[in-house]
Amino acid sequence: MLRFFLSRVATAVPAFFIIVALAFFLMRLAPGGPFDTERALDPEIAKNLRHIYRLDLPLMQQFWLYLQSLAHGELGPSLHWRDFTVSELFAKALPISAALGAKAMLVAIIAGTALGLVGAMSKVRIGPHAVDGAAIFGIVLPIFVVAPLLQLGLGLTLHVLPVGGWNDGAWQNQVLPVTTLALPQIAIVARLMQAALIDALAMPHIRTLRAFGMPGYHIYVHALRAAFAPVVSYLGLAAGNVLTGSVVVETIFGIPGMGRYFVDGALGRDYTLVMGTVIVVAAAVLLFNLIVDLILAWLDPRVRYDSRPR
Amino acid sequence: MNKPLPTTHPRLATGASRHLAMRASLATLGLIALLCLIGPLASGHPYDQVYRDYVLVRPSLFAHPDATETREALEGIARRMRVRVEALRQDGEVVHLAFSADRPIDTRALRAFERSDVFGPARIVETSDKGRRLSVDVPAKRTVFLFGTDTNGRDLFTRTLIAGRISLAVGLLASFLALTIGVAYGAVAGYAGGRIDALMMRIVEIVYALPFIFFVIVLVMVFGRHFVLIFIAIGAVEWLDMARIVRGQALSIKQRDFVAAAEALGASAPAILWRHVIPNAAGPIAAFLAVLVPRVILLESFVSFLGLGVQEPLTSWGVLVADGARNIQGSIHLLIFPALFLGATLGALQSLGNAWHGSPGAGHH
Repeated sequence: MLRFFLSRVATAVPAFFIIVALAFFLMRLAPGGPFDTERALDPEIAKNLRHIYRLDLPLMQQFWLYLQSLAHGELGPSLHWRDFTVSELFAKALPISAALGAKAMLVAIIAGTALGLVGAMSKVRIGPHAVDGAAIFGIVLPIFVVAPLLQLGLGLTLHVLPVGGWNDGAWQNQVLPVTTLALPQIAIVARLMQAALIDALAMPHIRTLRAFGMPGYHIYVHALRAAFAPVVSYLGLAAGNVLTGSVVVETIFGIPGMGRYFVDGALGRDYTLVMGTVIVVAAAVLLFNLIVDLILAWLDPRVRYDSRPR
Repeated sequence: MNKPLPTTHPRLATGASRHLAMRASLATLGLIALLCLIGPLASGHPYDQVYRDYVLVRPSLFAHPDATETREALEGIARRMRVRVEALRQDGEVVHLAFSADRPIDTRALRAFERSDVFGPARIVETSDKGRRLSVDVPAKRTVFLFGTDTNGRDLFTRTLIAGRISLAVGLLASFLALTIGVAYGAVAGYAGGRIDALMMRIVEIVYALPFIFFVIVLVMVFGRHFVLIFIAIGAVEWLDMARIVRGQALSIKQRDFVAAAEALGASAPAILWRHVIPNAAGPIAAFLAVLVPRVILLESFVSFLGLGVQEPLTSWGVLVADGARNIQGSIHLLIFPALFLGATLGALQSLGNAWHGSPGAGHH
């Protein structure tokens, strides 16, 4: 297991650095700069600004400096929010986004598994089809359609929940964003779970358990363990999807999370801010994939012994 | 974690229901495509025409103006002409009017009728009281806004269909680009094998870990917000899965005897790839394409939703849905119609892909 873990880490670390380099240089290819305004700045002032932020150095040297400060855990000053460092901005925004994303994932796993279980267990022929059909809606409807509809229905018409805002994370304010974010993932997890369970229930070892007259819940525990593998391996992708979705959800519900830094940072050419978001996101995705790999290896010993990179 | 994820279970997809689903989704897609192609020509409204008198009109099958709209438009014009409306009688398409004012009425001001969206050119019937009283016949224009109008008073029906053209075009073009890159990359990696393969696939794995939305944002930054360039940005991020699938196929195809025979006959590597490897991988490629197209359309609408995609006055379903989301209070039709078209298209493509071989609906990122 340790060897497996180390080999996974050994692939994740270089991947992280390549992503950082890729993002750094790609962004500098883009036309325009962080200090472009409607009226052109005085050339002297612009020059000074570029000098202060060390944007006048050769690109390679800037990259090296950036890596050095990164090694100290510093993400640098934001070029757009002049009085803040990127870390200060993230200190407020990241916990909000992380809480939102984690809750959405949790809801997706629990609700998706439950739905898949119901579909696979149902004795009627129509059962699995019903889950499948309902899931298609969840998959097909984009988040940015679902969100305003929920706002309209529960917020503006029924006045049950607030339409937007964060309100220091009051639960009423979290219900709609988390639901919106979780819905497509619930649908996908439910379909995966159902398909995997139907397969697992047809396996020889389950038949053996049945033949021994094991109680129903016992059989399902065994089937679930086998069926969890595809669901767990999807979770790596799901993390990426939730991340992307949270940009939209935060925009629509007016939540002060990381989402706005993505788009605003890129449009305003706020180099350090964009690099910060890339680093946070890449680290989160890589870390999550690592955890997923470990859970998979724990669930299925075959994965452990065949730890060559795919 | 990267093998295609099964969704509709093979055991669930029986022959008959599969065919039915396939036909239904093909019919839906055909209908939408046809509407988008022909609809804007038949709707009678240019997609960027602004009707100032018809802002945020509700969807209806009946022609505008109705009685209130006629009266409101008339009051506006009368105010501008500095006259009073003495009599108003509507007789089918023609409105008979009588004006009065304290000073002689300047008949040139009647041109305001032509300029409005509600009336046609006015015809003077008689003048009396030294030009202080004026009788006019004005034809009312008949305009139909099937889906209503947006906040700028543009016909939503036309705009939805024009948006559909853009969304579908971007979907197809970007998918084609992703297809080209993915197939070429995957075939080369799989056929070359060994170290080259390992290196090429490692690159794919790394790009995979990059949050693709960031990638699209940066590419849009580099390319600018032009419509032709969006599909390049999208195609450039969506080729990864295709490369994986084709590589897997190429790995097994190159073991086959006909490839060995071609090699023995001295065929070059590109020729073998083109003649033998890619054609034999056509099945999985086509199947994955059915998953790729809706994903790309969704991605385009997502990028447009964030305001990074198609720019006004051109539009796409994502832009329209974003507009609708901003105006849900009061003007729900702005959200419903584009969302319906987008949802129907994605749903049809999705179930088409499912019916094809009951596979990855899960690739929804």
